[in-house]
Amino acid sequence: MTPMFRAEWVKIGRPRFFFGTLAAIAAVAALGAVLTMLSVGHSDYDGVPVTATALAAADGVMQGLEAVSILLGVMALAVTAAVIGSDFTHGTLRNQLIAYPHRLRLLAGKCLALAAFVAVMVTAAMAVAAAMSFAIAPATGVSTAAWHSSAGLVEIGKGYLNVLMASLGYATIGVLAGVVFRSPAAAVSVGLAYALPLEMLVSRIWSPAATWLPARLMDTFAAGAHGYHITYAAAGGRILLFCAAAVVVAAGLFRHRDITS
Amino acid sequence: MTAETPARPPRVRTKSRRQARTDLPQPPADAAIWSQGLTRQYGTRRSVDRINLHVPTGALSGFVGPNGAGKTTTLRMLLGLIRPTGGHGFVLGHPVGSPAGYLSRVGAMIEGPTFHPGLTGRANLLLLARLRRLGPERVAETLDTVGLTSRADDRFSLYSLGMKQRLGIAAALLPGPELLILDEPTNGLDPAGIREIRSLLKDLAGARMTVFVSSHLLSEVEQICDHLVMIRTGRLLFQGHVTDLLAAEDPRLVLTPEHAGDTERLAALLRDHGLRVDPPEPSTESVSVHAPEAVAANLNKIAMKAGITLRALTAYRPTLEETFLVATGGVDGDLIPRSRSSPDASVGFHSPRVPAQDIPGRVS
Repeated sequence: MTPMFRAEWVKIGRPRFFFGTLAAIAAVAALGAVLTMLSVGHSDYDGVPVTATALAAADGVMQGLEAVSILLGVMALAVTAAVIGSDFTHGTLRNQLIAYPHRLRLLAGKCLALAAFVAVMVTAAMAVAAAMSFAIAPATGVSTAAWHSSAGLVEIGKGYLNVLMASLGYATIGVLAGVVFRSPAAAVSVGLAYALPLEMLVSRIWSPAATWLPARLMDTFAAGAHGYHITYAAAGGRILLFCAAAVVVAAGLFRHRDITS
Repeated sequence: MTAETPARPPRVRTKSRRQARTDLPQPPADAAIWSQGLTRQYGTRRSVDRINLHVPTGALSGFVGPNGAGKTTTLRMLLGLIRPTGGHGFVLGHPVGSPAGYLSRVGAMIEGPTFHPGLTGRANLLLLARLRRLGPERVAETLDTVGLTSRADDRFSLYSLGMKQRLGIAAALLPGPELLILDEPTNGLDPAGIREIRSLLKDLAGARMTVFVSSHLLSEVEQICDHLVMIRTGRLLFQGHVTDLLAAEDPRLVLTPEHAGDTERLAALLRDHGLRVDPPEPSTESVSVHAPEAVAANLNKIAMKAGITLRALTAYRPTLEETFLVATGGVDGDLIPRSRSSPDASVGFHSPRVPAQDIPGRVS
């Protein structure tokens, strides 16, 4: 698997792409943290009042990151869909398959490299969001004492894993879209249209759908399922189910389709 | 009820995968590429129609056919990128259904050089080298072979077409292949670039590598190839050594008397000497004789003895493509450039047909 991983990393690791995405992620994470801290005394998107006491709890430090988890997920989806789709449109996939004809192993190496990239991005986002939260909290009257405690560190770890898993779930949708549509433009646009407006619309019209639609479940999971109509474990189980199905479909298509582009 | 019940068809036991594998035909030991009835069908259209290929090991083989003839589809099947819908194909002794068995020893550039535009030439090669478990030193070697070292660290999107082609060839050379497959490697190149590629291919073939190079122009490959495979509308027209095709060529001498009035007399004179002479054309005032260049001096002597002074005596050796196309009765705009296929271009004589069956390797 290592050669495929290292080969894909040549593409992912090119400075313009890597640092460009990193900068965008850092900006989104900083924005989430700053706005969350500045929202003390106001109500959040769902109309729940945001108080300094609530934010001073052990999990308060991760509120900023969780608030933008959907954006991190969308970026993961877009990046993976674009990377996989562009291999088809640029015609580079046929060169890769001539160099390494084991299709499933090649796809696995690509996915592993993309997962590592998503992990790096989420780690960077967490670091930026935490640093910004610590920097701004005193100015908005939020105590950071609980954040420093061992419970706070556990919450940071949990919040990081939740957002990471949700982002990897979005990335899986991106891989599926890339393999199905074989074009970055189509894969990104259809993937985003599905994950954002379509699922949101469906779950607003019929709220129980939110407990079954993959992107809604990932948002639920990223927030630790706090305040949602589904348990954390159930959300995780359903996400795993959807991701497994997406991987099977993507692998089947990648393995058996003719490479004509 | 029992009378209407159709009898259940007898159960046919299908072959297991292992049995099917043992039923595969065996390619000859000397074949780098070999196929039997290789077919690719899209709906009702057969893009490649029951092709039987035999490219000998060590050959510099040209794969020629007009655009849309099925060349690229054939190459894709040979490289395991698309599946044949019928027949069998073997590359370096392995079936095309198991490309992992041979692709480590094959280098290829299909449908032009395709690389990531945002990566440098070197990084693009490094990506492929890593897949083949090769190091950066091999990348440097191949860049040097194709003369791209000085521009290796420029982005691919900034390369000229010639440089892109050379990078494509470098990628194909990365594994030090036993078989090199190149699809239209001179497409879009200027004459100097074409010469460079020709010279490179000759050098590679000289290094005991089998080279299979496709082109839509026979004139393009006839200068470098010692073996030809020709297809049209998915079907094999000819395959064999260039010498086989040359044996069927029809060299001519065109004699132009000083005085136009001597044309008929000269034609009759040459016929009397047992030569095959085309009926003289009034417009050209020349006589076309089917004879090799070696007899030109004798013809001049015959004319002089008869008191006919020649204004011009021109030897005309048809190109490989003219020989083939005249023989098979097809003049295709892609295979043969219009300017050369025009009768006017062949100094005023009508090429008589060489019987197609006289060409060894011709596939009817």
